[in-house]
Amino acid sequence: MTRAIRLTVNGTAHDVEVPTYRTLLDCLRCDLGLTGSKEGCGVGVCGACTVLLDGKMISSCIALAVFADGHEVTTVEGLAEDERLHPVQQAFMDAGGFQCGICTPGQVVAAKALLDANPSPSDTEIREWMLGNLCRCTGYYKIIESIRAAAAQPSRP
Amino acid sequence: MAHRIVGQPIGRLDGVEKVSGAARYSADVTLPGLIWGKALRSPLPHARIVRIDTAEARAVPGVMAVLSARDLPDVLVGRRMFDMPLLARDRVRFIGEKVAVVAAADPDVAEEALALIYVEYEDLPAVFDAAAAIEPGAPLVHDNPGAYEGAPAERPHANVQSVLCFKLGDVEAGFREADRIFEHTFRTQLAHHGYIEPHAGVVAIDGDGRVQVWASNKMPYRLKELLSHALQLPKERIRVNLTPIGGDFGGKGSLMDLPLAYHLARVTGRPVKMVMRYTEELMAGNPRHPSVITLRTGVTKAGRIVARRVRALFNAGAYAAFKPVPHVNLGGAGMGAGVYRIPNLLIESLCVYTHSIPCGHARSPGEPQMVFAGESHMDMIAKDLGLDPIEFRKRNLLTEGDHLPTGHHLEHVRAKETLDAALEASGWTTPKPAGVGRGVAMTHRHIGVGFTNARVRLETKGTVTLVIGLPDTGTGAHLVLRQIVAEVLGLSIDEVQIELATTDIFETDSGVGGSRVTHTGGRAAYHAAEQLKEQIRVEAGKLGTPGASFAVIAQAAARDGRTLEASHFYDAKAHAAVTSFTAQVAEVAVDSQTGQVTVRRFTTAHDVGTVINPIGHQGQIEGGLVQGLGFALSEELGTEDGRVSTLSLGDFKLPTIADIPPLTTVLLEDPVGPGPFRAKAIGEGSISAVAPAVANAVADACGVRILDLPITAEKVYFALAVSKKERSS
Amino acid sequence: MNAFDYRAPRRLDEALALLQEHGPDARVVAGGTALVTMMRQRLVRPACLVSLRDVEGLDRIEATNGAIRLGALVTHRAVEVSPLIRERLPVLAETFRRVGTVRIRHMATVGGALAHADPNQDPPVTLLALDATVEIRRASGRRELPLREFFRDYYETVLEPGELVTAVTVPLLPAASGASFVKFLPRTADDYATVAVAAIVTLEPDGQRCHQARIALGSVGMTPLRARAAEAALVGQRLDEGVLRAAGAAAKTEVDPLSDHRGSAAYKREMVSVMVGRALTQAAAAARQMARGAR
Repeated sequence: MTRAIRLTVNGTAHDVEVPTYRTLLDCLRCDLGLTGSKEGCGVGVCGACTVLLDGKMISSCIALAVFADGHEVTTVEGLAEDERLHPVQQAFMDAGGFQCGICTPGQVVAAKALLDANPSPSDTEIREWMLGNLCRCTGYYKIIESIRAAAAQPSRP
Repeated sequence: MAHRIVGQPIGRLDGVEKVSGAARYSADVTLPGLIWGKALRSPLPHARIVRIDTAEARAVPGVMAVLSARDLPDVLVGRRMFDMPLLARDRVRFIGEKVAVVAAADPDVAEEALALIYVEYEDLPAVFDAAAAIEPGAPLVHDNPGAYEGAPAERPHANVQSVLCFKLGDVEAGFREADRIFEHTFRTQLAHHGYIEPHAGVVAIDGDGRVQVWASNKMPYRLKELLSHALQLPKERIRVNLTPIGGDFGGKGSLMDLPLAYHLARVTGRPVKMVMRYTEELMAGNPRHPSVITLRTGVTKAGRIVARRVRALFNAGAYAAFKPVPHVNLGGAGMGAGVYRIPNLLIESLCVYTHSIPCGHARSPGEPQMVFAGESHMDMIAKDLGLDPIEFRKRNLLTEGDHLPTGHHLEHVRAKETLDAALEASGWTTPKPAGVGRGVAMTHRHIGVGFTNARVRLETKGTVTLVIGLPDTGTGAHLVLRQIVAEVLGLSIDEVQIELATTDIFETDSGVGGSRVTHTGGRAAYHAAEQLKEQIRVEAGKLGTPGASFAVIAQAAARDGRTLEASHFYDAKAHAAVTSFTAQVAEVAVDSQTGQVTVRRFTTAHDVGTVINPIGHQGQIEGGLVQGLGFALSEELGTEDGRVSTLSLGDFKLPTIADIPPLTTVLLEDPVGPGPFRAKAIGEGSISAVAPAVANAVADACGVRILDLPITAEKVYFALAVSKKERSS
Repeated sequence: MNAFDYRAPRRLDEALALLQEHGPDARVVAGGTALVTMMRQRLVRPACLVSLRDVEGLDRIEATNGAIRLGALVTHRAVEVSPLIRERLPVLAETFRRVGTVRIRHMATVGGALAHADPNQDPPVTLLALDATVEIRRASGRRELPLREFFRDYYETVLEPGELVTAVTVPLLPAASGASFVKFLPRTADDYATVAVAAIVTLEPDGQRCHQARIALGSVGMTPLRARAAEAALVGQRLDEGVLRAAGAAAKTEVDPLSDHRGSAAYKREMVSVMVGRALTQAAAAARQMARGAR
């Protein structure tokens, strides 16, 4: 059983026919070729699949693609503007906020959403917001540093 | 000597693809016509396979192939010891063992079809506990393990995979010298590595019969050899293409599902992708071995250790296939001596077959287990002797010229300095509130050895390309290698690029692992760069313009049809006579009403070589340390009769960003390492002493000694209840 | 996941008609955090999924007389950040804030949390302590039910095929009352509770003695449950340490936890005592403050 859906991903509208059971994550990765979002735990815990649905961060591995019909999705591929990295992405590079990088698409999408909602978060607010994005490489210290650095950027969009 | 690029805190320039989502990991590889493979796994720990009926699964629309063992050649696979079938043939030996595999264009269709494969099993008696498995009459996991290729020749029981011994002096004579003898037994848990990327691989067979592989595997050249063995194909027919790896921590060096992907590709004529679900990772990955470790130590009145006997039982699960070293055991067993001079020592480490998930290498294989036991044991002895735990350690620390259990003699020993640095930074002697305790633990970690090929090429635009066969597991090694080459050639970091070599390019490479990459890859790159530098000097001389730019020199050579290029194969066969010490202090609060342990502060001190990239170096320390905290406090693959019961990251709990303590790091730089610019290793230095530091701190805070990991609130709570009862009676 | 028919009606009556038509073959989906996860694990294999996501009018948070009404589609995050709830029923905002992660709170809905009936979840505990009422609709009508009559067993409610939760109504606290939610997380910050406790204490006009106590517990039985014996132990008492300890001891006899990775049954029982004591201490302090403020 398939269903024709229209979703806007990173500003571009896509019409796709998907099986009803297709997860939003698989739709992005397999149907749209946007492999930036990753599947880690597959049960909404690890955060590697974090995307924004109408601006709100969700786990795309436990959302159905049909949920996004008529809605806007932002993925890691949509953060940079005109080849210029989003300040959060730049900060993760400068401060060593990633190592293997598999959780990083989710981390930077979550961090962007945080700074959109709260431009100068305290460390406690960073921890509370980011606690759903597991990272096994960094021990998180440099993720906190990265987000602090991104928040301190005066020209953050 | 001051360096220009080496030692600079350069951020992850190599990570634009990673932060932008463009990096293509194995699971992201797409090819025209690609289909998916999914595996059916055994629900029983030990059973005879009576019959497998795949007819209904084959009939599912969209299913392109269903394979069971009878469709595959009868080969056994492994990394050193070849004891594991591709699919269970006559019997299954653990819950989660693969028995059949399905291919379909849609992964959900393939998974749905798995439920339509009917397997008739006949239950067989099983054994799950390592100690029970080596009792006479225990059910045998394998009938004749000695017959397997790569198997150690002798074993005290058919359920023993391997025995590893270390011996110094005469242990019996040593115990006769002792005034007091202490014996304690410790247990550590089964624990997954926790990498966020499950094992993934793509196999495609080209028109000319070449087998192309993309895999989350950190040793591509070894993988080629292992695939050649498993697929019964000449090595030249196989090409492994390097992809970034989404976390390794020792777990990503095996074949995993690749041979099955190959056979599905062979029968369907399509490229096949297999990606494990995380549930499969937790039931059938290759996690850290659980252990039971008994230490018996003889001490003189003066507090000197004169003898120690260590017996470690590692529950290795149903197959030895995941262990990569020739002794098919865990080298970390050698840490039974800790950081101490023990003149008479006998360590015996047994890896035991059980009907459980097969275990493999995990960051610092065997060491977190052994160091937890050893450093807890040290505090317990000190307490019993009425000695300060620091003083007891200092009386026995390794010093210049001492020998490790491996027989290596040591130079530049800085155990005491490292301990002192940790104590000072932690405020060890400052007052602490009630319910708060501090604990110290130490370890050391050798600098890994191996062999690496590197090639450097001068490009006509004046930049240099480093060609290397080491995949990126995330440590920042590629950046370190670029820094080394840039340093040698006087270039900026941007003027050095990395080109990843498929396995067609070099003859061999030992890949990533064992804290070796900065050493082996670094030395290979360093020497290749030195050679290129000399070629450039000669070319500049020929041109008659000594100050000519690299671009001018390269272009001049190009006009003659030449490329300036140099290669180096570096092979570190033996361990250097230096090691790296670690001393850590945990400060914890124990909630006496609940037993909950909160790490308030953590201090980690490291005796390091030249630090090539401070950001990456610190990242290794922090990441290993938080893994150590998870191992100490929250991570445990629960099992019930061989069945892993924590089958999601909702149940197997990794620390989150909200769980990490304030951290103080102290580095004692001593440029004496065998690596380039006298670097040492750091990747495995921070993980092993964390759990005993926490255990010792808990004992200091509330008087209870936890002998088995993880240190859960519940264990502390009930231990407190027992100690209250004892005190009141 | 298995193949299924997906329906996304825009109106509630259409949704109810679809549920009636498909009966037990249909499952209702809203946020999907529980259902899609279970479908991925092949624990649930519905033939038809009726989505409420596009149904209008079910996502409102409204003040009615003396109560707050939460539409079934209100997300956990919406409850957490609602100025109305933060002002009038802060314990409810706090409870929803403690659920999982921000991502999950953006997805999971109030109605879904109730219909899923997982005793390890946080919101049902506080809603139970607050004597919330569930509004249930089916094609042929509507019924309201106190939440305490809603849960039947692990993952089982009184909902019949064709029925769905449309709203939950939560009475505000009486005067001189304080409330608390305590979630005991001995492992990691993103875990389910080992024990969760919601407590509401209402004092006599004197501001000293306990007029009424309501205590609900999560993760310690087949449904979220009220600790009636503990509540009874408090009525008419001055809430000193001894009384709170007695209430904790009583609560531990009322639970029937399972042993799991978050603790053995024996440990959870002990922790019920401790956490009930802690929750009551907080609630009593808040109640005293309210009583003082009122006088």
